[in-house]
Amino acid sequence: MFMNSNLFEPGKSKPERNFVQLAVKQNQRFDGRRSNECRDVELTFGADWGTVAVSLGETKVLTHVTCDLGAPTTSRPNEGKLQLNVNLGGVAFLDEVQSTHDQRSLTLNSLLERTFRSSRCVDLESLCVAAEQHVWCIRVDINVLNHDGNLYDASTIATLAALMHFRRPDVTFADDELRIYTEKEREFIPLLFLHYPVSVTYCIFKSSGQPIVDPLLLEENAADSVIVLSFNSYQELCTLNAGGTAPTNVRTIMQCARNAATRAKSLVDFIRKALSLDEERRLQGGRLVQGLVALIGENQQKLSFRKLMGHQKQEPQDLQSEKMDVDTKAIAKPRVEEMAVEEESSKQETDAPLDSSSWLPQDEDSQKLPTPSEASASKAGKGKQNRSKSKANKKQQAKKQNNSDSEEEAKPVI
Amino acid sequence: MSTTSTIVMPGERISAIEELAKSKRVILGPGLRRQDDTVVASKAGPLRHKEPSTFWVDNYQRRYIPARGDLVLGIVRSKAGDNYRVDIGAADTASISYLAFEAATKKNRPDLNPGDLIYARVLNASADIEPELVCVNSVGKRGKLGVLAEGFFFKCTLNLGRMLLRENCPVLAALTRELPYEIAVGVNGRIWLKAHSLRETIALANAIVALEQSGCAEIDKICDNLGDFLQA
Repeated sequence: MFMNSNLFEPGKSKPERNFVQLAVKQNQRFDGRRSNECRDVELTFGADWGTVAVSLGETKVLTHVTCDLGAPTTSRPNEGKLQLNVNLGGVAFLDEVQSTHDQRSLTLNSLLERTFRSSRCVDLESLCVAAEQHVWCIRVDINVLNHDGNLYDASTIATLAALMHFRRPDVTFADDELRIYTEKEREFIPLLFLHYPVSVTYCIFKSSGQPIVDPLLLEENAADSVIVLSFNSYQELCTLNAGGTAPTNVRTIMQCARNAATRAKSLVDFIRKALSLDEERRLQGGRLVQGLVALIGENQQKLSFRKLMGHQKQEPQDLQSEKMDVDTKAIAKPRVEEMAVEEESSKQETDAPLDSSSWLPQDEDSQKLPTPSEASASKAGKGKQNRSKSKANKKQQAKKQNNSDSEEEAKPVI
Repeated sequence: MSTTSTIVMPGERISAIEELAKSKRVILGPGLRRQDDTVVASKAGPLRHKEPSTFWVDNYQRRYIPARGDLVLGIVRSKAGDNYRVDIGAADTASISYLAFEAATKKNRPDLNPGDLIYARVLNASADIEPELVCVNSVGKRGKLGVLAEGFFFKCTLNLGRMLLRENCPVLAALTRELPYEIAVGVNGRIWLKAHSLRETIALANAIVALEQSGCAEIDKICDNLGDFLQA
């Protein structure tokens, strides 16, 4: 029928789906990670400005930024252009038919467009040479080399890193004459950024309330819904992409958002650190990574998130483990009466600000939220498991209430 | 089968086989081709030899080419008239009749839905018509064939599937010493697994996938790792 039905993606057959659902329920993942643990991110900068290879486990993306002088659009005569080009040819083997390939590339493209263009992260006005005549057109080529889940994060990290790494030549425009300087004449200029967005992906399964971060392809395909959140380093929401069939409540999304914001911040810090290391290397005149094979293969220049951020990783993990403790406590003693639950939840409410998310203003409208919590309570009667889960829900709910209006706050940003 | 093997490339003339062919009959397996009086490799990979005189090239491949009698794992794609369409990883989808299951009659049809996994035998394979599968043997018993309901399933290269199915392959025996499990290996590079617990199944799947890179030689090491993991 189709040429490549063998290499048809994992996670599409029924046994796989059932198994993944079960695994998620038991808090097991295929590479031994915990549900809130990400894979290591590895960055390699190429010899040219704006060439970056990113690998997230087996997911590999190569991004290349180029620039060119061109005419601006009539609607925005004093702004440069930013063009994002996704090339999924490297993972075409996953697709059986053209339509799935198109859809995959469309989803990725729209995510990148919204994350980088609609959020206006690059200062396009600084790319204007002469209004209505000459502007810089920045073109980002995103080449997906391998797909093992979470293509979104890999491509946003790669795109951001490439844009931050990129430098354009200096140019002067006088007497209707455009002069572009070479690197020897004048130093190249990096792009100006207004903020640094990066995405974090979560998978949600019907069998479990716990969202999974940084899914594998198998998990991503078997998931009931995939949520992609783009945050910038100021922890402002840039994009929210939530689809699928799993019933996601506000609590889950807020939980994801909070973790994603911290993660995005550390990712941007990591990219910055990697960039400064790369610059050092260039200044020292060290050997640069030449060629494609060196870029994506094993090399010394590879900068790993875990290694670079080793000491900083401690902090978010503490936060997470704290959260985990809360969950396990709730599950450990499932036979507490409703009253106790209420007590606990009120207790939680008092120490809820421990989240220390200063970006979420303390809210007053805690009345708004009882609806989902009541709903979960009414579902609770089914059994131990269920009840304990609903309790965990309640706790989260209580925690969440303090932050609930941040959602409204976030909306205008979208 | 000889363990020391030479690597042959497509188009390479293999004179050793030609010499042997002068004195006795030789059988050329996949990846080897006779052109008049010469024997030429058509695939790249190690040249394998089985006594007395069978030769083939064990090349790295992920595309399955159906052959009669092969045991394969297939995913049901759709129903089509009296047949199910089954994806077995070949260029063409295979078909399996409603009646090719144990105790199936016109009235009593098997309950298969798209996405189900079946373990079947290739009944018919030819270049020009789509392959046909059966889930019963010649006397109408299902044996080990049929729907695989639970457990985990993953894809691998054809080499790994073939390697596990080899008679003298130490891998499955070594893994059995670590933990009990059920396995169905299709020669189309698909493996179905089921152990007592989910954790064990995942561990086992990872161990088998790791084999692809390391080969049989490191099976002891993998088993040690597996044991450590399961105890942890």
